[in-house]
Amino acid sequence: MTISKLLVANRGEIAARVLRTAKARGLATAVFRHVAEQEGPAHLIADEVVMIEGPTPVAAYLDIPQIVEAAKGIGADAVHPGYGFLSENAGFVAALEKAGVTFVGPTSEVIDLMGDKVRARAFVEERGFPVAPSAIEDDDPASFVERARAVGYPLLIKPSAGGGGKGMRVVREDSTLETEIETARREGERYFGDGRLFVERYIERPRHIEVQVMGDGQGNVVHFWERECSIQRRFQKIIEETPSPALTPEQRDEICETAAGIARAVKYRGAGTVEFIYAQDGAFYFLEMNTRLQVEHPVTEMVTGFDLVAEQLRVAAGKGLSAAQADIPQTGHSIELRICAEDATVDFRPAVGDILLLDEPTGPGVRVDSGILDGGKVTTDFDPMLSKLIVHGQDRAQAIALARQAVQDYVILGVTTNTGYLDAILAHPDFASGDISTGFLAEQSETLTAPGEDVSDLLMAAAALSDERLVSEVMQIPEMYRKMGGWRN
Amino acid sequence: MQRIFQIDGEETDCWLGHDGSRFVLNTPTGAVACQLDPTGLPGGYKLRAKGVVRELRLAVGPEVTFVHMDGRTYEVGRVDPAERLAGSDGGASDDRLVAPMPGVVVSVAVKPGDAVKEGQPLLVIESMKLETTLVAPRSGVVAEMPFAVGDSFGLKDILAQLAPEEE
Repeated sequence: MTISKLLVANRGEIAARVLRTAKARGLATAVFRHVAEQEGPAHLIADEVVMIEGPTPVAAYLDIPQIVEAAKGIGADAVHPGYGFLSENAGFVAALEKAGVTFVGPTSEVIDLMGDKVRARAFVEERGFPVAPSAIEDDDPASFVERARAVGYPLLIKPSAGGGGKGMRVVREDSTLETEIETARREGERYFGDGRLFVERYIERPRHIEVQVMGDGQGNVVHFWERECSIQRRFQKIIEETPSPALTPEQRDEICETAAGIARAVKYRGAGTVEFIYAQDGAFYFLEMNTRLQVEHPVTEMVTGFDLVAEQLRVAAGKGLSAAQADIPQTGHSIELRICAEDATVDFRPAVGDILLLDEPTGPGVRVDSGILDGGKVTTDFDPMLSKLIVHGQDRAQAIALARQAVQDYVILGVTTNTGYLDAILAHPDFASGDISTGFLAEQSETLTAPGEDVSDLLMAAAALSDERLVSEVMQIPEMYRKMGGWRN
Repeated sequence: MQRIFQIDGEETDCWLGHDGSRFVLNTPTGAVACQLDPTGLPGGYKLRAKGVVRELRLAVGPEVTFVHMDGRTYEVGRVDPAERLAGSDGGASDDRLVAPMPGVVVSVAVKPGDAVKEGQPLLVIESMKLETTLVAPRSGVVAEMPFAVGDSFGLKDILAQLAPEEE
């Protein structure tokens, strides 16, 4: 089987990133655009742009029949789903299979299994891999609250069908358990159409460590080492790195081999990520498996030298894995920063606006995967992530220094972004020493959003002198009055 | 000429004048002689003020000037005092519930005409993948609930309006 024309059923930075590799490998390429969507880098890279329709842009990108029809209509023999949208939708995979179009990803059975957090957890536990203490509502709904209580506080409530932090609630006191269960159930119903829940022990000051795996679908699996993703706000990652500063070489081998073992157990096909929660005492527990390319995959590419999209396309075309485990290095240190349109000082409120000026950092060891163009508009139609800044240094200290320089050099004017906040995280001594957990941002919120040196006089001078109307009004005043000004005391 | 600048929520009244050779920005704490010259980069300028020279990148939006200086990005709101006076709106601020962020209405607990107590839940919204319950800012009577369940709203949209307090 060969793939000659690839349709990317996604948008933004990931569409552009996938298209770049596909094009470099000589494939014909196509991508979608919704009428309400800004032109992005992906539209400039793809050979073909297919208009996609729907009441909202998001609804259009979730419209399985329309996407399958489009793939057939343009003669695409494969579809890459990116991340989010339909990337973990077994129905989408089945519809493509029926239409004779290759899905770049795992089988619908594996997506189904791993998409159901309860079944996935049971599957992993039965095979002897570590999982955290938990209670599953489905086992016996009548005793769920009682069993949740028995897991012990603090505990974490999660929707069975969930992911991405949606509907997750931490409960520390017994008095709030029942109301939090009801809230989580409503959120689960709304996001996933499924109100079933499970709870697990909430590990205090945990780290989030995940492992990139790649399988050929025949039971051969290699890992591409770990990524540490503990820097999260609202359960969502904003800084990721590899290697993890927490792991000893022995622990690294153990966690990576565990991940590869889980992927082998499902005869995994394509790129996937096994996520673990890592406790301060060094214990780690299976969290979930994401059956797609992750947002943060570039840090893995930087330290291994592999193009993971190229590997995905290779496996999808039935050509198997390109490398044996021993041939996959982990060289130097890589950090990714997610550049988001949001106000970190107001609870990460999404920001909107026009991009008036864009100047991305460049240089050795600096990579930008961007979904925006100068002159574009940032709306709330999609996720607030605008781009990703990835750096690669010889060691962690050098990578941090490089990341700080690059994020400081990143000019995005016209919409509020988190660049200053990301820099404050990188500058924090606890980040530098690697003493971080998924609670780090919440614990340090005041330090991280503290105002810097007061430069307001300079800023006001710049704002005044660049205000053309103000300047021309000043110059129209007769000179003698101009000098006096109107200053009143 | 007068301008009000807003930085990090703080307002400063300024007056820009010209002394025949340079611009002078008069602020409540003093006069700042200043000069801004383009550098050739897109939005690039050299600012001379307070005895220092700073390279910066700058973009002027309709209400906000964005400044990238010394590796940080700042936002300076600009208000023309004349326009603020002309456009001043009536109504007490505690009469309405303003959307703290864009989102979707999950549930609505009250309807126009209902009497509510301060702190009573009025509606539940979902933003950034989280549910938030919004409560009555004071006791009173609900005048308007402009959004129904499932409706999307934008930042600063009015989500609930109370009838004006008597007196």
